[in-house]
Amino acid sequence: MNVKRTSPLHDQVATLNPRWGRVRGMRMAAALAGDETVARESVAVVDLSCLDKAGVKGPEAAPWLEGLGIVVPAQANAWTGLPGSGVIARLGRGEFFLEDGAAGDTAGRVRDALGAGIAGVYPVTRQDAGIALVGRRVNELLVQTCNVNFQELDSESRTVVMTMMAGVAVLVIRQDHQNLPGFRIWCDPTYAPYLWETLTGIAAELDGGPIGTGRLLSQAAKLE
Amino acid sequence: MSARLPLVAGEWIDRSKKFGFDFESERFQGFAGDTVSSALLAAGVRVLGRSFKYHRARSVLSMANHDVNAMFQDGARLNLRGDVEPLRDRMVLAAVNTFGGVRRDRARIFDKLSAVLPVGFYYKAFHTPKAWFPFWERMFRRVTGLGELDFSTPHIRTPKRYDFCDVLVVGAGPSGLCASLAAADAGAKVVLVDENARIGGSLTYQRGGSDDPAAQLRNLASGISAHPNISVRTGTLAAGCYADNWVALVDAERMTKIRARAIIVASGVCEQPAVFHNNDVPGVMLASAAQRLIYRYAVRPMQSAVVLTGNQDGYAAALDLIANGIRVEAVVDLRRTDGGSAEEARVTEAGIRTLRGHCIYEARASGSMVGAAVICPLLTGGEADASRSETVRCDGVLMSVGYAPAAALLHQAGAAMRFDVQVGQFVPASLPGGVFAVGRVNGVYALEDRQRDGSRAGLEAAKYLGFPASAAPVVVRAAVAPSHPYPIFDHPQAKNFVDFDEDLQLKDLANAVQEGFDNIELLKRYATIGMGPSQGKHSNMNAIRVLAKLLGTTPGEVGTTTSRPFFHPVPMSHLAGRGFAPYRLTPLHSRHERAGAVFMQAGIWLRPEFYMTRGKTRLEAVREEAAAVRTGVGIIDVGTLGKMEISGPDAATFLERIYTGRFANMKVGMTRYALMLDDAGVIIDDGVVARLGEQRFYFTTTTTGSANVYREMTRLNTMWGMEVGIVNVTGAYAAVNLAGPRARDPLAGVTNLDLSAEAFPYLGVREAEIAGVPARLLRAGFVGELGYEIHVPADRACALWDALMEAGGVHGIRPFGVEAQRLLRLEKGHIIIGQDTDGLTTPLEAAVDWAVKMDKPYFVGQRSLKIVQRKNPKAKLVGFTLDSATEGKVPRECHLVIRDGKIAGRVTSIAWSPAMEKYLGLAFASPEIIANGGGFFIRMDGGQMVPARIAKTPFYDPAGDRQKLGA
Repeated sequence: MNVKRTSPLHDQVATLNPRWGRVRGMRMAAALAGDETVARESVAVVDLSCLDKAGVKGPEAAPWLEGLGIVVPAQANAWTGLPGSGVIARLGRGEFFLEDGAAGDTAGRVRDALGAGIAGVYPVTRQDAGIALVGRRVNELLVQTCNVNFQELDSESRTVVMTMMAGVAVLVIRQDHQNLPGFRIWCDPTYAPYLWETLTGIAAELDGGPIGTGRLLSQAAKLE
Repeated sequence: MSARLPLVAGEWIDRSKKFGFDFESERFQGFAGDTVSSALLAAGVRVLGRSFKYHRARSVLSMANHDVNAMFQDGARLNLRGDVEPLRDRMVLAAVNTFGGVRRDRARIFDKLSAVLPVGFYYKAFHTPKAWFPFWERMFRRVTGLGELDFSTPHIRTPKRYDFCDVLVVGAGPSGLCASLAAADAGAKVVLVDENARIGGSLTYQRGGSDDPAAQLRNLASGISAHPNISVRTGTLAAGCYADNWVALVDAERMTKIRARAIIVASGVCEQPAVFHNNDVPGVMLASAAQRLIYRYAVRPMQSAVVLTGNQDGYAAALDLIANGIRVEAVVDLRRTDGGSAEEARVTEAGIRTLRGHCIYEARASGSMVGAAVICPLLTGGEADASRSETVRCDGVLMSVGYAPAAALLHQAGAAMRFDVQVGQFVPASLPGGVFAVGRVNGVYALEDRQRDGSRAGLEAAKYLGFPASAAPVVVRAAVAPSHPYPIFDHPQAKNFVDFDEDLQLKDLANAVQEGFDNIELLKRYATIGMGPSQGKHSNMNAIRVLAKLLGTTPGEVGTTTSRPFFHPVPMSHLAGRGFAPYRLTPLHSRHERAGAVFMQAGIWLRPEFYMTRGKTRLEAVREEAAAVRTGVGIIDVGTLGKMEISGPDAATFLERIYTGRFANMKVGMTRYALMLDDAGVIIDDGVVARLGEQRFYFTTTTTGSANVYREMTRLNTMWGMEVGIVNVTGAYAAVNLAGPRARDPLAGVTNLDLSAEAFPYLGVREAEIAGVPARLLRAGFVGELGYEIHVPADRACALWDALMEAGGVHGIRPFGVEAQRLLRLEKGHIIIGQDTDGLTTPLEAAVDWAVKMDKPYFVGQRSLKIVQRKNPKAKLVGFTLDSATEGKVPRECHLVIRDGKIAGRVTSIAWSPAMEKYLGLAFASPEIIANGGGFFIRMDGGQMVPARIAKTPFYDPAGDRQKLGA
């Protein structure tokens, strides 16, 4: 059965008069009502929860992932890319978070391989909400919500920051979009509505706000 | 008469922009760049406010953000400090703390009553007699407090923000400017903050009648503004310093928490007043206040002045007065000999009368203003010789007798301070790494020395951070003390104020010490010295000197009071800032909203308390939901439960050590109740452990306990080093409980799993697809009926809910909320951790000792529990019922259990049970109650006693047949 997945931010996005698209079985906003250009230039908040995720931990996690042909970051608190614009983040000596791009399949492969049960490798179910912040004023938003100096992360940075944002535990990496500074944020999905409300509220004060997933993810631009 | 001077070089006012404003129903005019006080003084208004206690006329003291007797209200904005509050067009101002306006304040009668308002008056008033307390309370509430709060004030958004820099320089005086330039030249990113509207510090006003300081400032300022590594923030106060070099910066709009890799404190000093009779009369002010008025705001502070000094700066101030057309009647020098400075020579050259070894014994008022200074020679002990006094007419008195370092940030940063007799002030004895002190706060006074000291610290800070910088020599501190050791003079008529905020006179401190408050911290609290809005910036140092003299010791021995952040008042709106109050929603929140849920908070979660039904009350809705579960099928969102996975060869052993029960012998496919204790044997959490494989377990915790349980497990595993992987999947999984005698029916419609009792018995766990969603199913019985707890990945929760609701439609499925669940579990006598237990409850008291396997080799809390076992419990959790005939008000949770007139326990849960048709509950009861037939009373709020009797639990379905249904 092809079960529909629901974004933890579905209800928040639904209030913005979206035109819906679908990515990996999850309904996402291809675009929102109105002109999204200004918000995108200032600071845009985007729901990217649709992307497929997986997690592993354990003393043998790193060699096991490498055995699957996945290049893992050499150090903790670092990330590298996966085929298809995905991300693998090393959260500790033996803990990894993987997220595919819209087209990748690494996370799925990892989950399938874990099903067999591997000594020293433990599966971690990842259902994180994924949010992207993009725009020239993105740092102004970040300094109002988090005590980490994100300006130290340049566009080439491959640092993973695990911190609190507006009181919520988050993972953050720098990921620019079309020459605009940008960051990816992941958090527990049950906190996502709160974090979305907080981020979009501050973004609005900076002439920014939410935009459709389709503005960042071409696959989501395809209408339902 | 206008007191505005002709154009003054470097003045801060913009004469092309005129602002009109009202002060207590009179119309005035000032300029952009004026402060409220400078504009009023320029307009000829000399009395700006009333003192806190005696309502004495007051005016400018410091013009340095400490004039708490010249505070104003402008509409909803209250307690604006006139000395720094920028004048705005169309302000409507009134002085705070008056009854009828500043000129005709009716409360000035308190000045006549000062003899009956001794030190510690508040404490004494509330000592005895008790019958007077209401009177005192009413009176104090009426006469105290500054400003009138406007409750209709709109919400002001003041979002906090964070910021970062290499070097934070606090204070943009000459030393701070030089420090910034040196650090920035070395490559450091510098943030320079100053509370004033412009940079320059003393260079902007302490000129000594010369243009040199202004020229130096222009030089430094151009270097600062041109430097790409320096960011300047004026109008910004560094209000507190915290661990790891976090500093709170407060400006008009917001609070910024800045993290500096190094901090240079160039905060300077606060000039200190002398203490003599009537030292508070308008027209008596600090020398630096007069200089600020002249050079920043082009205001003539007086026509003719007497300058009281104890250092060369008083002479410099006299020169500033002369240079701006103000007559100096005399310079009264507390020192007996010539200090040898150029300023003193220039004053002599100007023909100004200088009286060395003299003091001002009192200021004489003329109307509300100072009219003369009474000058006396000093005796050898430093006291005034009142028998040889001379009266000199003047309309202004300047005080330049010394300084106290503005060292609050240094204290908070962890600096050790010592009293340097040579400098006459507290100076840093040692500084923590990355913190530097420069300029006058460091005891360095000569202008050139301060600049060199700044450059030295700038280089040191840069070097500390790893920038290439050469070392610079340490700058020596002042060789001649700029502060007089005791500029304090007794007077038979008192009114010689040590603290202007709280109207504390010299005799008040003496009396407090006589009453036994002879430690600086005790003296502060009893006399309230330094506890007013200026936080002792003009009183603490003199209080230390007074106490030292009274005790026959030194200021260094007396020490300072603790300097806590914030050392300057910060608006409440800034502290509130943007509220970050995280909340959690389950993935099914929208489904509950659609079903009419009324939400309640459970920790930080929002959960459906019940579902509103048209035409029904809350109670009716709850009972209907409970009835649906008892007779048909209900569904509740239990996604808030903590959910964990533990895998690995040591997983079972780990659980055995964490929980009180036995899990190593548990079969794959089964679940078991789990109870967690702390080291003291107190219950801290419970849940259900499910064995999914030989080395794989899935378990739940309480809703509010998941984070703590996960943290504790991780901590313990770090200690124990067991081969397990622990994963907190609380947010990753959604969960519902499908419960009721017909629970199997809707489930059977959406799964191929064999739901028969044989294949899936009570307390079993299975992994299967439900409506195409991969799920874990636990056969649980929390509400006492056939139940399936279904756990699925969060992003498929809505699909699961929709499928179950659709399949259950024909079976009358109904969502039920937390209230119905509480009732249903109470009927079963199941406890809720945190409601039916508290921070001291052991399993023995909560009657869940059946879940504790004391014969295991080890579990957390076991050792303590063995000790507890040997003692008789003071109370035990029991079930109870009220008489079925109970009518009217009934007891509530936390009401006391009473036996023989004594407290013998408390109610933890109570509800009307539709199934049992009576009130039933759980309560802690004493062993005497249990041993003597089980009868007791419950005392309600109004004192009414309700009879109750212990009853066996479970109240409902004691054999548990219904939850095992078909098992």
